[in-house]
Amino acid sequence: MKIGEHELKLVKRVDLPWWNAMIISIISVIVALILFSLVFVHSGVNPLTGFKEIFQFAFLNRNGLPLTINRSIFIFLCTCAFIIPYRAGLWNIGMAGQLYAGALGAFGVMYLFGAKGDPNLYIAPGIGIPLMMIGAMFAGGAIGGIAGFLRGRFNVNEIVTTMMLNSIGFWFISYMVKEGGPFMNPVGRSESFDLPLSVRAPLVFGAPFTMIVALLLAILLYWVFAKTRIGYKIKSYGLNPLAAKYSGINPQVIPVLVFVLGGMIAGLAAYHYFGAMPGVFKIARNYAEFGDLSFYGIICGLIAQGNPLAAIPVSLLFGGLTNGGRFAQGKLQMGFGVDYALLGVMMITMVVLQFFYRYKIVWIKPEKEISDVGIIR
Amino acid sequence: MWELFVRSLDASIVLAIAALGELIGQRSGVLNVGIEGVMLFGATFGFIVAQTTGDYTTGFIAAIAIGAIIGLMHGVFSITLGVDQVVSGMGIWILGFGLTTYIGNPYTGPLGMARIDRIGGLSPFFYLALALIFLTWFVLNKTSLGLKIRSVGENPEVAEVSGVSVNRIRYLCVIVSGMLMGLAGGVYGLSYNPVWNYNFLMGWGFIALALVFFSMWNPFIMFGGAVLFGALWQLALSPEFILPGVMSRYLWRMVPFVITIVVLVLMSTRWFRTHWGAAKPEALGVPYKKEG
Repeated sequence: MKIGEHELKLVKRVDLPWWNAMIISIISVIVALILFSLVFVHSGVNPLTGFKEIFQFAFLNRNGLPLTINRSIFIFLCTCAFIIPYRAGLWNIGMAGQLYAGALGAFGVMYLFGAKGDPNLYIAPGIGIPLMMIGAMFAGGAIGGIAGFLRGRFNVNEIVTTMMLNSIGFWFISYMVKEGGPFMNPVGRSESFDLPLSVRAPLVFGAPFTMIVALLLAILLYWVFAKTRIGYKIKSYGLNPLAAKYSGINPQVIPVLVFVLGGMIAGLAAYHYFGAMPGVFKIARNYAEFGDLSFYGIICGLIAQGNPLAAIPVSLLFGGLTNGGRFAQGKLQMGFGVDYALLGVMMITMVVLQFFYRYKIVWIKPEKEISDVGIIR
Repeated sequence: MWELFVRSLDASIVLAIAALGELIGQRSGVLNVGIEGVMLFGATFGFIVAQTTGDYTTGFIAAIAIGAIIGLMHGVFSITLGVDQVVSGMGIWILGFGLTTYIGNPYTGPLGMARIDRIGGLSPFFYLALALIFLTWFVLNKTSLGLKIRSVGENPEVAEVSGVSVNRIRYLCVIVSGMLMGLAGGVYGLSYNPVWNYNFLMGWGFIALALVFFSMWNPFIMFGGAVLFGALWQLALSPEFILPGVMSRYLWRMVPFVITIVVLVLMSTRWFRTHWGAAKPEALGVPYKKEG
């Protein structure tokens, strides 16, 4: 394409420096937000008003900000659950199933303590809380591990398996907390029993302590991928499983490892939401909504391009957008599902922009032809 | 019992048409893991159009048209732009999930139209599905177009050299594939389960994907699998037909998914693959870029 003297040209990339990758991610977010403003236009709302409402509620409102932070921690953990297998070239879309398993794991521990129907039961928080986290991580990791094992051992497509496990997890958690299931609330609501007061997690700076856990996790994962042998093995398996095999990496172990780790973190996300969130402290009846929310992990993981540190700001942005989106939807009387529409639009722009991982646009300024060379006047 | 049989066949038809679409795409070497998304688009648009116009035919045309558009989109991403096919498919799934939730929400609830008449006691789509499956088998195995499609799926470089336009064939297959998935969504939303709710496919697209892997890329085996799965699904919905009161109804709902995983594992064992020679297209999922 020619613009004036300059020429725009598509050139194949030889490498992708990190700042270019970052620019692509930022552009894709901006493009998605511009496309998303069509949703506002469709509902007869000025997009600027819409975005103002979203961001003001999400980041500047006293009621909105804590909700944003809680959601962002959740999305961040789901992102990590996606990122680890993604680094190995595998797709974990089973965060929802691992999440349900994690919730059941955490509450299963309390069930064993006899917490059902006894909110005043005393369990030392120093024992109860870690045990719940371990329970959540164990259950999530086990569900994730199934997909990883089947992929590593039998080469079963992990997308299908994790999706089937999502459905299995959904019906299983429904069985556990509804219609007289073992974890059902004794009062008869279709949700789990309440956590005993003694193991309701403390707040740190007004946010659940899982925020600290998430931040530490980001640093730890970054370090693992950047500096350790196991991180290197995961990456090289992701780039080329066959070559990795010849260089002595066990191709059956890596999928199990990444899926178990991913599942454990998804389990932790469940603990965060159902076990450490102020005002929840039970498997709330809208658990399926959090299964849907976990899919943001896929998008955030792609935007952050597998980098756990980059996932922090990305999760914060999406935590804010979904939270503010819900608020704007109510305030501006838009149809249900504004945040879901954002999810879809964001994902597809991300896909298109992937093209620029391999190609770049360059400006070519043609050198002026010197017309009078060799002509003697 | 007859009613149960007819209902399970209805379920099989939806899965068979969707899986047939995926099978055609895969035979040409393009993997679309976003069947669920295309079906959601087809189901939602078909539902909305049929409800507003009061006409089933228009609804199905809308479902097929939106399927073709989404199929074309997958083609542009994965063939022209060369984006990773799994990434593109995932994008289509989540786009479908997100956008249809927003667009369809005002239409939540039953369709409110007279059910489509049955022919000989069975859904008319049963005959359509059979015809489509036979046609696909015939085209793939008995015509020169089928040979081109298969060669493009096996070895695009060689196909290109022998004068087949790889991209053109792949675009054709991807669009037809999208149309079939859209139609499957329409059959689901207008005939099998005509009550719109967000994400009301509940993973059927992924089951269709599993069916294609199960079928060893043969339309007839795929149909057999779809019939078995449909029966399984319907039994899980109403277990009282065989084992009344054995398990909670929620636990029964898990069974079809568990069996899907078990079957896929059995299919993937080395014993099975060496005995049955799964005909996986060699170039499946590999983007093709013409040299030069």
